[in-house]
Amino acid sequence: MELLERYLQAVRKYLPLRRQDDIVAELRANMESQIEDRESELGRALTQGEFEDLLRKMGHPMLVASRYRPQQYLIGPTMFPMYFYVLRIAMLWAFIICMIVAAVVTPLTQGGGQAVVDALFRTPGTLIQVAAWITLVFAGFDFARTHYPQVCPPIPGITQNWNPSSLPPLEKGEHSGKPRSFTQTVIEVVMDVLFLGWLLLIPHHPFVLMGPGAAYLEAGPFLLAPAWWTFYWLLIAMNIMQVAWKCIELARGTWEHPSRLLQIVSKAVGLIPFIFLLTTQDHRYVLLKNPAVDQMRYGQTLHQVNEGLHFAFVVVCAIVVVQLAFDIGKWILEDYRSRFARA
Amino acid sequence: MTVAESTFENLRLELRRGCLTLAVLAQLREEHYGYTLRKDLAERGLEIDESTLYPLLRRLETQGLLASEWREEDKRNKRFYRLSPEGEQILARLLDEWNTINTSVSRILDATDAETK
Repeated sequence: MELLERYLQAVRKYLPLRRQDDIVAELRANMESQIEDRESELGRALTQGEFEDLLRKMGHPMLVASRYRPQQYLIGPTMFPMYFYVLRIAMLWAFIICMIVAAVVTPLTQGGGQAVVDALFRTPGTLIQVAAWITLVFAGFDFARTHYPQVCPPIPGITQNWNPSSLPPLEKGEHSGKPRSFTQTVIEVVMDVLFLGWLLLIPHHPFVLMGPGAAYLEAGPFLLAPAWWTFYWLLIAMNIMQVAWKCIELARGTWEHPSRLLQIVSKAVGLIPFIFLLTTQDHRYVLLKNPAVDQMRYGQTLHQVNEGLHFAFVVVCAIVVVQLAFDIGKWILEDYRSRFARA
Repeated sequence: MTVAESTFENLRLELRRGCLTLAVLAQLREEHYGYTLRKDLAERGLEIDESTLYPLLRRLETQGLLASEWREEDKRNKRFYRLSPEGEQILARLLDEWNTINTSVSRILDATDAETK
């Protein structure tokens, strides 16, 4: 019987404080009856081994006690799908913002590779903080919803007044919709070649790009910095790559469904000319033809123009990076889904 | 334990959970204390662990479906449970539900058997 007392004492430690005595008394009564029954069946007292078997069958004290506690969870099954959806979206955006800060904002504002590395190392901490706050908010809301249903109103549009017409329209899948036709691809190649020709005309005939503005630039005190030439040739190289890629698709007969990976690579490569402009020393995109003469008069305007251009490139880069991250995420998700469907 | 066995075990527990509650409520139309209730259920073919039954009794009592009292029997204090008036109403409704499900499942199984033959 000493073993029974030790067992009950162990169970007691894990029980809710207010109900310990009551539950232990009931357990003792039930177990003593069971032991008595067993002993009268056998016609003798239980051996130590039989006693241990009986307790083993009853279960570990912690498990036995845990069953007397109400089922506990941080976020219940009703709220969990919404919580998980919000968590995924928030984590994705937090990650994108962290990457933009590390890859674009930090180099521009603080400069130096160490600052970028520091910003990258801060990402996991930021993500954990975002997840913790979202979990905390949802746990609080779920607690209020389950414990004070009369105070906590139903969620409009979800738990009440849900309207099926408000469902989002069907999304386009990777290979949904009409495949790209041969004619369409040929027209795209022709247009790309024409665009390339137009680009090649610009250095000798700036009018095709700037219209009458070319004459003002010619006559005015400003001129474009040499960095634009590198930008220009990078742009030409990219367009040649694009035309070549489409010609390869035509030759291989794969024009109907262009490769998603190549689309993403193409978008990533598209960032290179803009990154080059961003790294231009002192943001010198426009210069003075005669600095010695015009510096006093146009110096301030020149500074504003260069800073404005630099800001515009930062914005363009940020937009392309976000689009790229979105495309990569979508591509990974679609790849995962199609693999799962095939399995 | 393989994945299939684990899946089966989870489904079996899920299936048993509701059935056990129904059986306990039905059995407690007559007064019992924990140990004798477990014995009676086992004699009728429904084995149930002590560590499942005793907390279940507490839970049903908290929900107002059972009433209990401490009383001395055979020189020992025991907690006796019986169905409360609210428990009787709930039991009647649960039995209706049980019969409906039972009939539907039997009908589905009969139809499937007939199709396979």
